[in-house]
Amino acid sequence: MNKIAIIVLLFGVVIFGACKVDPKIIEPLPANNLVEIIPEGWPQPKYTYSVNTISEDKFVLGRALFYETMLSVTDSISCGSCHQDFSAFSHSGHKVSHGIYDRLGKRNAPGIFNLTWHPYFMHDGGINHIELQPLGPISNTLEMGADINPVMTKLQASSKYQGMFKKAFGTDTITSQNMLRAITVFMGLMYSYNSKFDYYKRHENNIDLTASELNGYNLFTAKCSGCHTEPLFSDFAFRNNGLSVDPFYQDSGRAHITGMPQDRYKFKTPSLRNVAKTAPYMHDGRFNTLNECLDHYTNGITNLINLDPLIPNSGLQLSAQEKLDIIAFLNTLTDYKYLGDRRFANPNF
Amino acid sequence: MKNTIKFILIVLWLGFLSCKKDTKDPDPQPEPLAPVTGDTIKVIFEHTVNDTLVFNLNQKYVNPNLDTFKVSILKYYISNVVVTKTDNSTFAEANSYHLIDVSNYNSTVLNILNVPNGSYKSISFTLGVDSARNCSGAQSGELAPSDMFWSWFTGYIMFKLEGTSPQAVSSNKQLQFHIGGYGGVNKVQRNFNFNFATTPSNVSGSTSPSIHLSADINEVFKTPATINFATQSSQVSVGPNAKIYADNYADMIHFKHVHN
Ligand code: HEC
Ligand code: HEC
Repeated sequence: MNKIAIIVLLFGVVIFGACKVDPKIIEPLPANNLVEIIPEGWPQPKYTYSVNTISEDKFVLGRALFYETMLSVTDSISCGSCHQDFSAFSHSGHKVSHGIYDRLGKRNAPGIFNLTWHPYFMHDGGINHIELQPLGPISNTLEMGADINPVMTKLQASSKYQGMFKKAFGTDTITSQNMLRAITVFMGLMYSYNSKFDYYKRHENNIDLTASELNGYNLFTAKCSGCHTEPLFSDFAFRNNGLSVDPFYQDSGRAHITGMPQDRYKFKTPSLRNVAKTAPYMHDGRFNTLNECLDHYTNGITNLINLDPLIPNSGLQLSAQEKLDIIAFLNTLTDYKYLGDRRFANPNF
Repeated sequence: MKNTIKFILIVLWLGFLSCKKDTKDPDPQPEPLAPVTGDTIKVIFEHTVNDTLVFNLNQKYVNPNLDTFKVSILKYYISNVVVTKTDNSTFAEANSYHLIDVSNYNSTVLNILNVPNGSYKSISFTLGVDSARNCSGAQSGELAPSDMFWSWFTGYIMFKLEGTSPQAVSSNKQLQFHIGGYGGVNKVQRNFNFNFATTPSNVSGSTSPSIHLSADINEVFKTPATINFATQSSQVSVGPNAKIYADNYADMIHFKHVHN
């Protein structure tokens, strides 16, 4: 099964991607162990695969689509352009993502992992379902009206994708629903639950935290976990953590969606798993380092409109040493198993 | 060293092994249609202005505020069609979602298939798409994401009217009404129910009755709120302002007659 998928893929790349992609596939990427995972002690995910069942063919198709530039109107960028595997699928070094789409130009691309637990997507939670998430970037965003038909027409004309969709869904017609479901299978299986901290918690591999990391964990539990709640390190609620309003972007956050004054400047609490790899930080990528983030919490609280009650107006009191300890702890949340997982890499390289 | 992972790996092979329809499937593949003889009810939407003028795209009309306007795009969803027999039993069309696009005549005639034989006295449906289908991920068929779907703020555009008016303040005199919002106090779905008990329509093996409805474009601009294009030429987000148009179009569709 695997082999056939690879051959189809190879064939497609060689024949149809020839003008754009160097046809030098060295080794087939793995697509194994594709199962839904709910680590012990974690809540039930919001998205299960009860309708959109997992299969290797869907995963391989989803992966091809994730790295497919045909998904953009101009054939120039793919999901993978802004979500890079080595940076936990965030956009490394980019404060805000510059695609071909204006709408993306004011927000930082978050990392992608453990998505099936997210109740909604985007910093403002505007997208209510994982299957619909890819529509945001794919569609032409003139006033939000999505028209993915040009993209579907391109995929339907591609014999590479005709074969892959047929294998994955057993039908000749390439529909947007099947495209979205394949990408969902691919993205949804990006699980991150094997950081140093996880091993420590599970008493695995004889991993212990250092004194500094442990102190950081205790401080984190006291000061941060009300919002960045274990085990996902987010409660996914919309909150204002006191960032000043950027005069250029004027991003009102959740209020952009609801129109409610009480939602102004609230953003979806991000997960802090892999946070050492997802710089720059915050919805507009304003901070380059974790140190700057912690400086913000100690003496950068400026926007008091709807400031979350868990953060005092005067900020969270942290000494220099405490900041170092918290950062040491945050570094234990990096999951090298997930980061190095070749199943999620770009099949075109 | 293979470590002792103490995780629960839950493998949901349920639907995978047997490709049976999952009961929770919000978007079942349509069943293959049984051969249809006469058991179809046609629901025909005729578009008018003030219930008297025939409505055509790109033709000039006057709204209740006496602004002139032309419409270039008029599309809306009709869903969850239910017909009721004279004995009060009902038949609900399966997977009942229809996108009416005035530029495509065929889309203005709904064919309700496989209606059981009997004498029918009323029809009900919703203008818009129910909240469930706005919340269950990627849909197919008439509900496949299109220019009737907002991608950055999930939800269907339930009603779309675009055109021009010399009175409009926008630079290019554009009218743009994209009405959506699937839940809460500002939801824009509106229900219609028409009773024709005095002339019940009979569905039997050989007759195919048609229910004629008219959709009056000016109702969108008339009551309860009279729309003034000089100040209201665009509505493209959800909220209380979108609801104004929904409350207006709540009486847009009128019953004309039934042909047996
Ligand atoms: C031009 C860069 C760019 C491209 C291309 C892009 N994204 Fe994103 N992605 C972003 C940005 C920026 C955000 C955050 C946007 C916001 O919150 O408004 C985001 C958000 C997301 C999220 C939400 C994560 C969360 O925590 O809520 C997911 C999932 C995602 N993208 C997947 C995809 C997929 C799948 C594709 C391809 C179909 C894609 N992205 C293409 C930049 C991009
Ligand atoms: C009141 C809730 C709340 C508390 C308490 C809180 N945070 Fe946050 N944190 C947020 C929100 C909301 C954001 C996203 C803000 C944005 O993007 O504008 C965020 C963002 C961050 C980010 C950036 C993540 C990224 O990927 O961009 C880091 C790092 C962070 N917080 C660390 C901490 C630490 C460490 C603490 C404790 C000292 C803490 N937070 C306390 C709500 C909170």
